[in-house]
Amino acid sequence: MNFTNPQIQTEDLPNIEDVVLKPISKSYLKIITLNRLAFYSLILGAVFGLKYLIKEDGFQDNFWLVFIGVIVICIANFIISILAFKKRKYAVRGYDVIYAKGLIIHSIITVPISRIQHVEESRSWLARHLGLSTLKIFTAGEAGSDLSIKGLQHLEAKGINDFISAKVNGNN
Amino acid sequence: MEITDFSQPIRQSTKGIIVIFAFNLVTFIKKFFVLFIAFGVSIFRNKSIGNITPTMVVLALIAVLITILIIAILKYLNFKFHIHNDDFHLATGIINKDNTIIPKSKIQNVYIKQNFLQQIINVVSVKIETAGDKKSEIEISALDKPTALLLKKKLFNRATSTSGEPEPKDALKEPEVFFKVTPKRLFLEGLSQNHFKSFLLIFTFSFGLYSEFKDFLKELELEKHVEGMVELDEATILRLIITNVIIVVGVVLISFLFSIVKTFIINFNLEVVEHQKTVEINKGLFNKVSLSLTPSRIQNLVITTNRIKQYFGLHTLSVKQAMVNVKQQKNFNIVALEKEQLNYLVNKLISNYNENQGELAKPKPYYMRISALEMLVFGSVINGLSLAIFGIEMLWINTVFIPLAALYIYFAYKKAYYKISENFVTIGSGVIDTTTNILEIHKIQGVKLKQTIFQKPRDIASLVISTASKSVTIPYISKQEALTIYNFLLYKVESQDRDWM
Repeated sequence: MNFTNPQIQTEDLPNIEDVVLKPISKSYLKIITLNRLAFYSLILGAVFGLKYLIKEDGFQDNFWLVFIGVIVICIANFIISILAFKKRKYAVRGYDVIYAKGLIIHSIITVPISRIQHVEESRSWLARHLGLSTLKIFTAGEAGSDLSIKGLQHLEAKGINDFISAKVNGNN
Repeated sequence: MEITDFSQPIRQSTKGIIVIFAFNLVTFIKKFFVLFIAFGVSIFRNKSIGNITPTMVVLALIAVLITILIIAILKYLNFKFHIHNDDFHLATGIINKDNTIIPKSKIQNVYIKQNFLQQIINVVSVKIETAGDKKSEIEISALDKPTALLLKKKLFNRATSTSGEPEPKDALKEPEVFFKVTPKRLFLEGLSQNHFKSFLLIFTFSFGLYSEFKDFLKELELEKHVEGMVELDEATILRLIITNVIIVVGVVLISFLFSIVKTFIINFNLEVVEHQKTVEINKGLFNKVSLSLTPSRIQNLVITTNRIKQYFGLHTLSVKQAMVNVKQQKNFNIVALEKEQLNYLVNKLISNYNENQGELAKPKPYYMRISALEMLVFGSVINGLSLAIFGIEMLWINTVFIPLAALYIYFAYKKAYYKISENFVTIGSGVIDTTTNILEIHKIQGVKLKQTIFQKPRDIASLVISTASKSVTIPYISKQEALTIYNFLLYKVESQDRDWM
C-alpha cells in the first residue's frame, strides 16, 4: 500500500497574505463616479420634489437645513466610495480566485477553481465605452460564495475567463 | 399498472387524473377565492346583477369544473416517463411539449410523498430533485406504492454505484429500522420547543384578526360597555388584572398546544431506516414523506438542542443539501434523537467524524462587546417605543430587559466555539438553543475573511465558510488565527481532488 500521511505545518501552507493583489482598472473610478452622481442627483431631485409636495411650515422653514444635511451625507458617501475603490483588488492563483473589497467592512473572498460552476463576462454600455468588463464567477453555493469582479480591463477579464473555463472543463 | 420495467415510456396510474384535478382545482380556488366570495355574495343577495342570475353562475361554475377536469385528463395523457440507459426521461405538456432528461448521477433526492387525498385513493407521488433550482424539480403525482419504490430503487442504484466500488446488492443486508419515535418523546419534543415562535405567530394572528374586525367591534358599541365598566373601584381593577392574567395564560397554553400539535402532525410516526449506504426517513400524518439521504449529497449537518431538551435527551438533526428550498428543508429534520443515536447517525452520514477531534477554540471576548452593543441598540428601540406609546412609567420594563440582555450576552458567548480538525469544521452557537454545525472540509465552496474598520486596530476578524447549502461564520477571532484557518481550508480543498457532490 502506497500511502503516506505527512504532517502539515500550517506555517508552510501557501499564505493568502503573500499574494500580491492587483488593483482593478483605474477607469472604473469613472463609472463609480458617474453612477454615484446619477444616484445623488436622483436623491436631491426627490428632496426638491418634497419641497413642493409638503406645504407644512415646519418643513418649509427648515428646508435648507434638510437639503444641506442630505448633501453632506452624499459627499461623505462619495468620499467613502472613492476611498473604497482602492480596496477593490483581485488575484488569480493556480487553484483559486481571490477578490478583496470594502473600506468599512473589508472582506477577502477566495473561491477554489475546482468549485466554480460557470463564469460570465458581462459589459454594460458604459463599461464597453471604457473598455472594461465585469467578471462573474458562480459556485454551487448560496449567494455567499459567488464573486463579481467589477472593472477589469476587457482583455484581462477575457484572459481570466478563458483560464478558468479551461481549468473547469479540464477537471470534468 | 402491471409493468414494472421502466424502459418503455409509461403513464402514471389512472388515479393520477384525480390528483391532478384536485391540485388544479385547489390552485384555481386559491387564485380566485376573493373574487368568488365578493361576486357570489353580491349575486345571491341581489338575486341578479345585470342579466346574470344564480343559475347562470352555477352553470359557469360547472363549466369551469369541467374545463379543469379536461385539462387534468389531457395533462395525464401527455405525461410519460421512462428510464433509458442512465437517464430519466420525462415528456410533458399539452400544447407546449417539454422533454426533460436527468442523468441519474445528477439526482440529489428522490422523495416519496403522500398527501391526504393520495392516502385516500392509495397512491403516492414521487418527486425527483436535482441540485438545480426549483424549476428543475419533477413530480410524478400518482403511482402505486410498489411501482414508486421500484422506480426510486432504479434511480438510486445506478447513481450510487457509479461513484463507488461495485456494490453488493442492497438486499444482502436487510434494511433495519434504526430509530422509531414514540408518542411520548414527540410530546416532550413539542413541549420543550422554543415557544417564542409559536407565541409570536399566534400573537400576530390574533392581532391581525383584531385589526380586521376592529370596525365590527366598534359597531357593537363595545366602547360604551367598556367605559361603563371602567368606573374605577377596586373590584373592577381586580377583575381587569384577572382577565389579563387569564389572557396571558391562555395565549401561553395555546402556543404550547400549537407547538405540540405541529410537532405531531409533521413528525407523526417518524422512522429512520438504515440501508447499506443511505438512510431513509419516513414521517408525517397528513403529508406522508419518505426520503433517502445519500452521504455524498449532504453539505452540512446541524444539531440543535436546548437545556430542557438536553435533560430529556432530545436532539434534532437537520441535514442540509444543496439548493433545497426552505419548505423542503424542514423535511430533513430528524427530531427526538437520543445522544447515542445521534452520534451513530452523524457517523453514518459523514464517516469518521469524531466529536473530540481537533482543538476547541473560542472567539475573542470582543464577541461579548458586539452582543452588548446589539442589545444596547435593541434596548434603546424598545425604550423609545414604550416611552412614546405608554409614557414614562413604562421604563420599568428595563428591570426585566437588562437581566435578560445580560443573560443573552453571557450565553451567546459561552456557547460559541469552533473546532477545525483534519476533515471537518465544527462550529457551536446559539443562545436559547444550542446549535452545532458540522461540515466536511472538501465540500467548502468558498471562504471569506471579514474585518470592519473598527476591528482592524484590535486585529480581529470573522471567517465565513460557504458550502452549497449554507454559510457558517466563525465570529471575531484574531486575524492571525483567521488567516491560518483560511489558508488551511483552502489548502485542504485545493490539494485533494474530491468532489463536493
